[in-house]
Amino acid sequence: MEISRGEIRRYLGYGKNEGDEAVNNLIEECIGELVAAASPKSISRVYPLKLLSDDWINFTVFKTRSRNLSRNLQDCEQVILFAATLGAGVDVLLHKYTKLQMSKAVTMQAAATAMIEEYCDEENRKLKEEYEDRELYLRPRFSPGYGDFPLECQKDITTVLETPKRIGIMLTDSLLMTPSKSVTAVMGISGKPYRCEIKGCESCGKADCAYRRD
Amino acid sequence: MAVILEEINKRKVFFDGGTGSLLQANGLEPGELPETWNVKHPDIITKLHRDYLEAGADIIKTNTFGANGLKFYKGAEFDLEEVVTAALKNARNAVETASYPAGKKKGYIALDLGPTGKLLKPLGDLAFEEAYKMFSQVVKIGEREGADLVLIETMSDSYETKAAVLAAKENSSLPVFVTTIFDEKGKLLTGGNVESTVALLEGLGVDALGINCGLGPIQMKGILKDIMKVVSIPVIVNPNAGLPRSEGGKTVYDIDAAEFAAAMKEIAEEGACVIGGCCGTTPEHIEKTVALCKDLPVRLPDKKNRTVISSYAQAVVIDNDPILIGERINPTGKSKFKQALRDHNLEYILREGVAQQDNGAHVLDVNVGLPEIDEPSMMAEVIGELQSIIDLPLQIDTSNIEAMERAMRVYNGKPLINSVNGKKEVMEAIFPLVKQYGGVVVALALDEDGIPETADGRIAVAKKIYDKAAEYGIEKKDIIIDALCMTVSSDSRGALTTLETLRRVRDELGGRTILGVSNISFGLPQREIINAAFFTMALQNGLSAAIINPNSEAMMRSYYSFRTLADLDPQCSGYISVYSGQVATLGETVRQGTSSLSGGISGGEMSLSESIAKGLKDRAYAAVTELLREQEPLTIINGQMIPALDRVGKGFENGTVFLPQLLMSAEAAKAAFEVIKEKMAEGGVAQEKKGTIILATVKGDIHDIGKNIVKVLLENYGYDVIDLGKDVPPEKIVETAVKDEVKLVGLSALMTTTVPSMEETIKQLREAAPYVKVMVGGAVLTEGYAKTIGADQYCRDAMASVNYAEGIFQALD
Repeated sequence: MEISRGEIRRYLGYGKNEGDEAVNNLIEECIGELVAAASPKSISRVYPLKLLSDDWINFTVFKTRSRNLSRNLQDCEQVILFAATLGAGVDVLLHKYTKLQMSKAVTMQAAATAMIEEYCDEENRKLKEEYEDRELYLRPRFSPGYGDFPLECQKDITTVLETPKRIGIMLTDSLLMTPSKSVTAVMGISGKPYRCEIKGCESCGKADCAYRRD
Repeated sequence: MAVILEEINKRKVFFDGGTGSLLQANGLEPGELPETWNVKHPDIITKLHRDYLEAGADIIKTNTFGANGLKFYKGAEFDLEEVVTAALKNARNAVETASYPAGKKKGYIALDLGPTGKLLKPLGDLAFEEAYKMFSQVVKIGEREGADLVLIETMSDSYETKAAVLAAKENSSLPVFVTTIFDEKGKLLTGGNVESTVALLEGLGVDALGINCGLGPIQMKGILKDIMKVVSIPVIVNPNAGLPRSEGGKTVYDIDAAEFAAAMKEIAEEGACVIGGCCGTTPEHIEKTVALCKDLPVRLPDKKNRTVISSYAQAVVIDNDPILIGERINPTGKSKFKQALRDHNLEYILREGVAQQDNGAHVLDVNVGLPEIDEPSMMAEVIGELQSIIDLPLQIDTSNIEAMERAMRVYNGKPLINSVNGKKEVMEAIFPLVKQYGGVVVALALDEDGIPETADGRIAVAKKIYDKAAEYGIEKKDIIIDALCMTVSSDSRGALTTLETLRRVRDELGGRTILGVSNISFGLPQREIINAAFFTMALQNGLSAAIINPNSEAMMRSYYSFRTLADLDPQCSGYISVYSGQVATLGETVRQGTSSLSGGISGGEMSLSESIAKGLKDRAYAAVTELLREQEPLTIINGQMIPALDRVGKGFENGTVFLPQLLMSAEAAKAAFEVIKEKMAEGGVAQEKKGTIILATVKGDIHDIGKNIVKVLLENYGYDVIDLGKDVPPEKIVETAVKDEVKLVGLSALMTTTVPSMEETIKQLREAAPYVKVMVGGAVLTEGYAKTIGADQYCRDAMASVNYAEGIFQALD
């Protein structure tokens, strides 16, 4: 997995600035430790999808209401529920440096975020190719909490995918995922080719986000 | 012995198979809790159990996998009592009404306990004792309603597994079986492996252990082989019906019942004593498996006689290849360490731990005994903190029985316990704890008559300890004899007696040994010279575990050389990997600091303010040490440090300095402050604090990185920070603010779901302590949002918090 140094610096607030030598060394150190500590895992399942009136969406295994997501899933007949995590080992590292060296903790945090995004992209790319062989096309990955897609759907997705026992993602009472470097998402499947962005960031409606890529 | 355990000694025993997919076929809706069907559809559940018994299963699992107090509470549609009671009733009905195949006896009922679905603290939000309580509730109902055994299954976290086992053993007299879920690499989701898991479970005294779920029988074969190499108790294997894939919203598996049974036959032949199925398996899978395996000969695992301890992630075996136990987490003779304990400065202790790990320790000794502190609480807390960042097994070192028990309970693994001795009273206090929680115990070869002067005397005490331990069911392998290292300056024969004892424990008793090696040189100059020489002699005389200072290069040289010379280091690879990169440094005795916590580039001189601005910890340390020869501490702080910090802070606000640099500067400044603080303490002056600030991440929120950044900066600017941590209830924040008369509270929240806790905290603060100012920050907050929930100030970043604090406390002056 090739983790983008530019993405890590973006998460650290550098924008397009190059970091100085010390920071870039720290980034490399973090990547080395992360690769050793991470054990990336993902799971996905496919369900029939129905778009209902008033922006309601029926995923077969649960229903929700979201205007942004309804638009994202236009023309889709099926949907992939997807979850991925870097595993608890990464949280141990983050915890360790939070206790001992905050500069490394924030850098590790950024590197781990870049890593889980890259891992999701890779897994999604595989799915995309698999479906394109059957002339089906995937829509951009869309996660609970993006735009008006309710965070509560986190519960449904993790339950349906049995993430606690399959890949180890569990929710806290306030719907935070543990391990912290985890992603849940849905991806529409359509017979119609359509601009398919693998990236998640641009598809979010929160245009004023400090970390927005575009 | 429980009947089911006798059965396992006589023949292959069979578990039933999966439940979930069969219930779905019967109409269980997605998201519907399967356990509710115990009450809603007792007929279907009873039939399912009966089908398995009629297919030849000996043990049925109750439909209680997810039955816990989080999902079934008073006021929910069904409460826990109702669901578990109904589950047992259905199982009993099935056992009574099944038409058993010829030759089969009545079935046994396993009370099924699955994971809580929550990650335990500190990485998750469920406390260990909460998990224990949840499991205990189910166990009590299960035993009362007629379960024959407890099956703890599908566990993927060693800590949660320990909570469940303690709950089962402390609240029932039923046999306890445990199966965990490994991935294809043989790892638990939280990082444990086969060896660490077996060590933990055998230590806790479970009756059978094994694997379930996650994989099919074919993928489980390799893991089973690894288990068989180390296990001494019966092994259970309950695989899925192959590997799953998703087809049209349904999960299907890649092998059929006949293939499943064929693979299970190989598993039984490999040594599994109890076999059955998990997800996707049906009565047909079990029937075919029983047909192929029921007449296979029984072969119980041999007793392995391994002396092994574990952390959450790894096992350490104590055998002919000696291990190193780091001795540095111990206040004896260390004034800084004592001060750290008094100040509750856990960071200092954690650094000692990480440094020893980086320098090659295999185990860390943990001793926090100091007369003026609450040792049991401190011990439990330090163990918790160490095991959350370090994956080495720990040695719990205390003579305080309460501290010992609390540490053993919260420890995530099978610990080394330091220590017991030949005194009757001590053995009677320690051995029951070892039996209850598991562990390898260090036994000092002394008793009521004191320390025997001869090896004969020490061997006799060792024998006495082994015998007494056996009465408690503790095997010799779980005891290591401390041959006692007496200072050679007061008894010139002391070292020889110790060495003879080591040799004879190994040769005559077949036991393992341990020594606190550094004791040998008390009262002598250049202690390392004697320590290192004695260490080599002890190793040559059979020492299995050495308590030493791994930061001492001389000791590590003895260790690496011995292993090479004693044929314990194939191709000298261990020696070469440590020393090939080093130039000759025979004059040098102590290794430099720690590798993973280094402060960037070193070498060359640089002014203090420049070192801080560039974030170079080592140089800042050197520069301040130099400056202190000529200048007063306050001159240095005001003339160099504060201006440097201000410059970096301004740069951060202007967007020319970024967060990692800001923090590196803060860390460099902190290193310099430490030196100044020590100097001031020598002169009897304490550094004046500008004021006290409480920081907390609000209840429900476990992401505290932002709060910790703010803490680092505020401390550098001279504030005393009370860090209440994460997931902090409003009441605790209010109580602390009132008790310590704190004027400023900083709160952080990451998610929209936790901002309500922040609002509630502010509300309670306003009522109880209206004089308190509240600053807030976190990913979802904005200026407007902060106003809405009643905060005094929104801080967009860490520097904004510093600026706000400076304003508040200047106004107060």
